[in-house]
Amino acid sequence: MKKAVFYFLTFAIILLEFVLFGWAVRVRAPLLSVASLVLGIAVIYIARMYVDEVIEDERTQKIQERTAMTTLQVTWVALLVFSVWMIIEGAGIRAPPEIRRLGIFGFGLLLTDIAMVVVFVLLSFYYRKQYGE
Amino acid sequence: MKNRLKVLRAMHDLTQEHLANDLGVTRQTILAIEKGKYDPSLELAFRISRYFHTTIEETFIYEVPDEIPP
Repeated sequence: MKKAVFYFLTFAIILLEFVLFGWAVRVRAPLLSVASLVLGIAVIYIARMYVDEVIEDERTQKIQERTAMTTLQVTWVALLVFSVWMIIEGAGIRAPPEIRRLGIFGFGLLLTDIAMVVVFVLLSFYYRKQYGE
Repeated sequence: MKNRLKVLRAMHDLTQEHLANDLGVTRQTILAIEKGKYDPSLELAFRISRYFHTTIEETFIYEVPDEIPP
């Protein structure tokens, strides 16, 4: 498969996913949306294996590594800031119920942030072992 | 790090696309190495040198930065 065909296929799948998502929301069928997402990712992954040309090498991997790390750092900080802000807002004794719910949501965000750190630390231990520590 | 990749490629009358395909990398990587924007890994550097039947030292020129003592 040519590189251009793969990119076109990926674009078409993403477009189809949006259409299916919209339709799933309208008919209230979350399973349909989730199933189509998983199927779409699987199709892209399989199609990628059949590309004749090189689409990934050490330079693209390095770019992806750096991009991923920066994205992670920015997400950590953003989640932390938002979650702390929401928790403090929602913790007020006289806060209306909507704002209190915001506080609970903030706790959820904080837990997600902590979970990300835990996964990061565990994976870094794994890769340290793999690279000879 | 400087390199003679562009010269070697011209000497062998190769396009970036051709060289990239033979080395199993993207054309953009060859372009980035030639421009000095990307330093290849040791493995790729060896592969490039062997491809042109030269040594790493003949293909890549390492310049010690000012702040690092030789």
